[in-house]
Amino acid sequence: MSKQIKQLGDDVWKTKVEKVNSELFTLTYGSIVAQLCRDFNNNYEEVNAQTYKMGYNIGVRLIDEFLQKTQLSRCSSFRDTAEIVSKVGFKMFLNIVPNITNWTSDMTTFSLILTENPLADFVELPDDGKAVKELWYSNILCGVLRGALEMVQLDCEVGFISDVLRGDETTELRVRLVQVLKDEIPAGEE
Amino acid sequence: MSYYFAILGTNDSPLYELEIGTYKQSGDGKPNFPIEIKELQQFIVNASLDILQDQQFKINQIFFKNLDAFYGYQVYSYLTQGNIKFIISTNVKNQDESIRQFFIEVNELYVKNLLSPFYNVNDPIRSVGFDSRVCLLAKKYL
Amino acid sequence: MSKIASGYDPAVGPRTTGTTTVIRPRSSIYDRNLHRARHDISVSSLSFLFMEMVSMNLNQAKSLIELERKLNNLGYSIGTKVLELASLRENFNNNLTSSGKSNVSKREIKVLDILHFITSVIWPSLFEKPADNLEKSSESNCQYMIIDNAPVLMKYISVPKEYEGLNCEAFVAGIVEGILDSTFFKCEVSAHTVPVEGHLGRTVYLINFDEELIARETQ
Repeated sequence: MSKQIKQLGDDVWKTKVEKVNSELFTLTYGSIVAQLCRDFNNNYEEVNAQTYKMGYNIGVRLIDEFLQKTQLSRCSSFRDTAEIVSKVGFKMFLNIVPNITNWTSDMTTFSLILTENPLADFVELPDDGKAVKELWYSNILCGVLRGALEMVQLDCEVGFISDVLRGDETTELRVRLVQVLKDEIPAGEE
Repeated sequence: MSYYFAILGTNDSPLYELEIGTYKQSGDGKPNFPIEIKELQQFIVNASLDILQDQQFKINQIFFKNLDAFYGYQVYSYLTQGNIKFIISTNVKNQDESIRQFFIEVNELYVKNLLSPFYNVNDPIRSVGFDSRVCLLAKKYL
Repeated sequence: MSKIASGYDPAVGPRTTGTTTVIRPRSSIYDRNLHRARHDISVSSLSFLFMEMVSMNLNQAKSLIELERKLNNLGYSIGTKVLELASLRENFNNNLTSSGKSNVSKREIKVLDILHFITSVIWPSLFEKPADNLEKSSESNCQYMIIDNAPVLMKYISVPKEYEGLNCEAFVAGIVEGILDSTFFKCEVSAHTVPVEGHLGRTVYLINFDEELIARETQ
């Protein structure tokens, strides 16, 4: 099943996606984060919240394009969801395939390890002592995942555990399934 | 036999400075400026900027050797398209080629530093990584 | 041993920059290769990011003009960086490396040359295609225009009726302005949508150079 999913991801990337150099993307996101830091006076908690919100707004729209290009139907398990997010979702939008690891025994939580991150190319966090402890530079990704998954009735908590920009070994995202939503209207935090 | 290296921004403000002694001929890298010259380096460099300013819109080259001279110290300059100036003032002779190579590599380091969204043109360069790599380059070329 | 980098403040004199923490990232940005094979992403990722950026600034801006100015500022800092990067790569391609013998190093010092650099080198590096046209205005000696028939960023964006005066390409205008300002070609750049047959999104980036700059050219 995993091989088929990977194949689907590669196919969609090859045939259905219009491509562009990632440099403008990287620089644009950098410009946004830098402006947020200035606007909020280096209150990095607030910057994290803003980028998360931006990601959420993107995620709820991005899912439509995802479903339209992949024609995928409902996943049968959260494990499948993880595979699809990594091998198809990340592949078709960012051309990266994060590794899936650290499943909890009840299969509700997993980690995504990003070996490369186009958002953070050539980024060096400011040297004020606070940024490396408080800023999650790529927090927009968490918002995107949360928004997209919510639109397919999966209420998830998504957050960073570690980031190479902060001096950690890896860049790791943790995704936890809180509940499967029954209605069309998303429940849970706004 | 020493070098004084400075990076100056578009408005001629210093962004980075380094004093280093030559590693060639078993030099140990310790700068060796006489006290009078040490104090004057910044003025020497600044004075040469006037000459650079005159020439920069007439000549389209990047590397200016022999931009200026002061009592045995020669000033070399490298000007990027974005008007960032790398300047070296030195009393070591016949090092045109090494200095040129050094400048080219520092240019690459500078661009990598510049690409970070938290660094803007004309900010002082405080990155420890940048500093240590410039020192490594100096060891290699100077 | 060498001195740590010191920022120089004439009022204070030379001082060292102490860093407050010594967390050193394991793989530094300085180890990465600037000339490596490019990484592609999907155009829609770029579009989504751009749309959200406009949207976020729209909520905070009090007027369309203020929004365009904010977009211009966001683009400006990108322009200053893109210029140095493109210039470095051009030199590299012309074999101006520390190991190469080439002395073909060039800076653009004339208006037309720098504009050509923008339309034929920088445009493709950002947008995968050269700009469609470069024109000099017949009305004024200080005005030039870069024309893009189908701006990449606007491909999936349509501006709703209530924001009719807004041009999101103010962002790209900011990039151009950042580039020109850092090469000491002082100017103001604005973006205007001028549709023609077959190209509804055709955008003209109007560049207004300072008069003293044009005077410097003719010296």
